[in-house]
Amino acid sequence: MNAPSPALVAPRPERLRLVGQRRQLLALMHQRLMFGMIVYAGIVALIALRILYLAAFGDHAGRKQSLTQLIPERGDIVDRNGDPLARTIDAWTIAIHPTKVIGDKLELARQLARLMPEQSEEQYFALLRSGKPFFYLRRRASPALVEAVNALGEPGLAIEREPDRLYPQTTLAAHVLGYTDIDGHGVAGMERAFDQRLSDAATRGEPLMLSIDSRAQQALEHELMTAMTKFSAIGAAGVILDVKTGEVLAMTSLPEVNPNQPGAVSPDARFNRATQGVYELGSTFKPFTVAMAMDSGLIKSFGKQYNCPNTLPAYGHVVHDTHPFGRTCTVAEIMQESSNIGTAQIADQLGTERQKVWLKKMGFTGPVPIELKERGRALTPGSRWGPFETMTVGFGQGIAVAPLQLAMGYQTLFNGGVYHAPTLLKIDRAHPLPAGKRVFSEETSYKMRALLRLVVMKGTGKKADAPGYRVGGKTGTAQKLINGRYSQTINITSFAGVFPMDEPRYVIVAMLDEPKATKDTYGFTTAGWNVAPVVSGTISRIAPMLGVQPDMGREPDMSQVLPYIHEKKD
Amino acid sequence: MSGRSFRSVFMVASCAGAALGCYLVSLRVASERAALEDVENQIVLAQRDVRVLQTEIGTRGRLSQLERWNAGAFALSAPAADQFLKGGFELARLARPEHQVDFKAPVVLASAPAPQKTQPLEQPEVDDSGVPAASAPPAALLHIASYKTETREVPARSVVKLPLTAANPTDKPATADRSASPKSVMKPGLAAAQPKAAREVAKAVTAAAKKAVDKPVATATRPVTKPVRIANIDPLAPLPGRHSATSKGKTADR
Repeated sequence: MNAPSPALVAPRPERLRLVGQRRQLLALMHQRLMFGMIVYAGIVALIALRILYLAAFGDHAGRKQSLTQLIPERGDIVDRNGDPLARTIDAWTIAIHPTKVIGDKLELARQLARLMPEQSEEQYFALLRSGKPFFYLRRRASPALVEAVNALGEPGLAIEREPDRLYPQTTLAAHVLGYTDIDGHGVAGMERAFDQRLSDAATRGEPLMLSIDSRAQQALEHELMTAMTKFSAIGAAGVILDVKTGEVLAMTSLPEVNPNQPGAVSPDARFNRATQGVYELGSTFKPFTVAMAMDSGLIKSFGKQYNCPNTLPAYGHVVHDTHPFGRTCTVAEIMQESSNIGTAQIADQLGTERQKVWLKKMGFTGPVPIELKERGRALTPGSRWGPFETMTVGFGQGIAVAPLQLAMGYQTLFNGGVYHAPTLLKIDRAHPLPAGKRVFSEETSYKMRALLRLVVMKGTGKKADAPGYRVGGKTGTAQKLINGRYSQTINITSFAGVFPMDEPRYVIVAMLDEPKATKDTYGFTTAGWNVAPVVSGTISRIAPMLGVQPDMGREPDMSQVLPYIHEKKD
Repeated sequence: MSGRSFRSVFMVASCAGAALGCYLVSLRVASERAALEDVENQIVLAQRDVRVLQTEIGTRGRLSQLERWNAGAFALSAPAADQFLKGGFELARLARPEHQVDFKAPVVLASAPAPQKTQPLEQPEVDDSGVPAASAPPAALLHIASYKTETREVPARSVVKLPLTAANPTDKPATADRSASPKSVMKPGLAAAQPKAAREVAKAVTAAAKKAVDKPVATATRPVTKPVRIANIDPLAPLPGRHSATSKGKTADR
């Protein structure tokens, strides 16, 4: 009975407080524990989910970095038939880290001089002891050499593959293609003009298709090179244009340059004579003067007579002819014999203002319209353009244009009078033909066919004829301006031709810079003797490939001109 | 009872099995994808090799190199304008056999086959020589079409100018150079149309050959083909069984 009554054993107040605190503490601990568990479970769940996700959708460990598409480091350049003209391939490069060489340096230098004799043993040894970190020994090394160098077993040698620009056709169309610097950026030609397009990852997968036809290009280069060597000329240029579209089928400038080693030649060879160089091309301009006069209504028929004395005094100067008529002559005869006196009178009738307007319309007063960055600008008399200058411009002296501009002029004249800017890109669906610009009337264009055919059939350009291909054209022999004076002996000869003349399809312009006389030319240095055969040879080679059917029975309508030719005494 | 108590275990096991199955499927897909990528990789590498090899071939066979080989060894040149043909007929024309005079052929008397049987319908000549015109067989009236044009160009009327046919050539025996087939016929009118040729060949044979009339006139109109293109038979000639068509072009087919 000594059991205390509950009332007697009532806890002490502080103890009671303690129990309340404890319970509170316990609840807090439970809360924290629960929170920690949730956090922990969340982390575990996150990791598990991530693992599951990776298992389902992630890459597996053995996966390689794959190249699913072959995209070259720099886009290819191909010709109009798809033949490669420039490509980037992986080439072997041999380099050395002199500081990492562990073998005998003298022995290594000896071995390197044996394998790569472009440098001597001493030079290699000096290079190895120079303490510099890195040297290229050979870029674009042959596999056999790489194997031999690798067999040396020197860890300091670095043998790697690097993208390298290769021009499989070597010198072919070198001035059109241009070349790249050591970092693979274009510094000349189309490589420079389309550098962005060729190096951009989005566009470089598609090759850049040029309008160049490599077969025509080769024929033109070969024929020009032969003539240049034969006549000891210091340079040459040639252009072939499609009359209908203005596409450049071939364009060359000699002396040639190999874009695989652009540094190996003189700056003169790297100069593009077809677009950058401007020349006074002489009588090849005369057809334009006649066409302008016809379009202006000054010449209604090729039978129109002009007084052609032996010399023509005009505006304080005297105009000469190489073969003076000394009588009245018709327009047909003026073109046939390439008379300066006759053409000067036609140009005089035309007048300065009209001549300026025509030349501007034909694109002869501004820069050469072409994609290349290496392009010249035509030189005109400018502020001195008076009546006498009008006469000289009429027969091609006093105005300097690039050979490509001359070809462009003939393209306009024989494309029914419609001008299309020349282009180096193939005209196709991706690059449609832009709208042309009318310069001459269609009738003038048609009538001029017979006149230029006459020059080749009976005039100064006989040697340019390719039998069956109806070549028409005009020779041009211009005196070269040397130190401000026209040389009497040094010429620039050119020929601008069109074929087939009854349905013009291609324009060809060839030019020789300072050709010398040979025994075959009987001492002459005029265009009819040295550059006209280039045109003949090129046309007979390329015309069948370009789809021009030879036909001995077809000619343009010669009844326009033949009645106005006086029979020669011989 | 036991089934109910193990229910959760079954649930967990089936869930785990399903998850494992899903994982295996995904693993399988991943490995297939990797294999496919390997193949694609190989294709790209092969394409790169092809490209390198093409570039090498292109570089070794570049146009300037071909030009050099051509200059040194092949010496090929562009075809001339007259070497282009417009169609099958021009090509067939080139295969026309070249007519050759065989001087070693035996001398045969002209009177041996009866020439009157095949006398042509050239009335003026026949009248001059006095042979009755009615003797022409009906077969001679047939004109057999062929591609040959020479016979039409023969001016048969020029007979009056020719002294050789003053006498009747068929009356007298005459020697003839029978180089052609035995079917070749003697036609004074035709032979007379080619007086020059007849005279040349006559000189070559004998004096008696002045009367020879059925000379082949090959020298007058030689085909323009080159000697290397000789064919033995004329592919365009009518069949040999016909009346007057012969394998040699210069005897007439009429």
